[in-house]
Amino acid sequence: MSSLLGQAAGVVILLVLGYLFGRLAERRHFQRLVRQEAEIQYLPVVASRYPPEDRPYRQQLVSGNVVIASDYFKAFMAALINIFGGRVTPFESMLDRARRESILRMKAAAIELDAAYVFNIKFDTTRIATGRLGAMEVLAYGTAMIPQDT
Amino acid sequence: MEYENRLPPEGINTSRQHPLKQFLQLVIGALVLVVMIVAMLQVSGSFLARKIPFSYELAVMQRLNIPLGDARRHADMTAYLNGLASRVGAHMAMPEDMQLTVHYDDDEVFNAFATVGGNLLFYRGLLSRMPDENTLAMVMAHEIAHVLHRDPVAALGGGVASTIALLALTGNSGTGMAGQLLNNAGMLTSIQFTRRMEVAADRAALAAVNGLYGHVNGAARLFELFRDGRDPHSQDKEPGVLERFVSTHPLDAERISNISRLAVAEHWQQQGELTPLPADFKRWLER
Repeated sequence: MSSLLGQAAGVVILLVLGYLFGRLAERRHFQRLVRQEAEIQYLPVVASRYPPEDRPYRQQLVSGNVVIASDYFKAFMAALINIFGGRVTPFESMLDRARRESILRMKAAAIELDAAYVFNIKFDTTRIATGRLGAMEVLAYGTAMIPQDT
Repeated sequence: MEYENRLPPEGINTSRQHPLKQFLQLVIGALVLVVMIVAMLQVSGSFLARKIPFSYELAVMQRLNIPLGDARRHADMTAYLNGLASRVGAHMAMPEDMQLTVHYDDDEVFNAFATVGGNLLFYRGLLSRMPDENTLAMVMAHEIAHVLHRDPVAALGGGVASTIALLALTGNSGTGMAGQLLNNAGMLTSIQFTRRMEVAADRAALAAVNGLYGHVNGAARLFELFRDGRDPHSQDKEPGVLERFVSTHPLDAERISNISRLAVAEHWQQQGELTPLPADFKRWLER
């Protein structure tokens, strides 16, 4: 019985820690994302494969990637949602953060090159196994259009 | 062409529901689901397993030929235990096709159990602490009662059915801690069923002991031994609700009081002369 209670206590502690720290990290991350997105909003990121031809541009691949880990609470919730089906909400917000962060990092790389646009942006995502808890890599990449006359 | 960036819309990929609310809904829903599934499968699985003819159960066990104890090394003890089983079984309305085979194992395990095919296994650890034959007969009758009630095969049927269901529900590698939680919930649900079997076996065993000796003296001694054997310090401690819930067997104190209540209700003598164990019993226990 004591092993059962010990196991239950361990689960509760991990869930509480996962919930508190996971939520704190997520809230801070979203706040930073909103702030930084506003700061570098001036650089357009375009999904189109057809770049503008108004003037000569040098083209260069830019990318930004991020790895975000889930926490015990998210993993626990996701496992239970797997039973009943439905939106895996704990991972939706995690992936949203990862996508937005990767765009920000890609844009930062493009700004370094004095690019005017990033074209043909694409995402790649990979699950990274870190024990039982999942981590997710999101890579955003695109073609930085750097005006030749600058 | 003009290109402009718009800020990403907020709230598309985040849920408005508070995660703790969703968490509670999921945990409660999953636990209810597991308890219902396990309870249903325990009832139906054990019901169907009890329909398997004993002769088939016996044939399967003989074919499997699982070694239990060592009858050659402990011929005297094995013969004595089988003789006692016949004497006790004679008072238990055994069907004709039901055979009992008692095995002896010289491990220091404080236990005895009945398994499929009418096989009973007694450990040295238990036998060496038997004060008299009446107490031993109570253990024997209890295990025979399990065979008589087809409990081993029923537990196997219900257990296998619910284990497969739980495995299907939680078996994939991604469930992690949630899977463990649900498995434990399933196990606790199963335990509630085995405890009922124990109560029924105690009852039948007491009747057999009364039939054999004309009184039930010594039967309660068994559970006192169990209580002392489990935890010598817990005798005065009041068991908690949790301990009651997670225990496979009824609590020893409960069993002791049940015996005396049953004896009073059935007008069985609680006092009587205790039959000693055979003179060579101690020698048989030597390795």
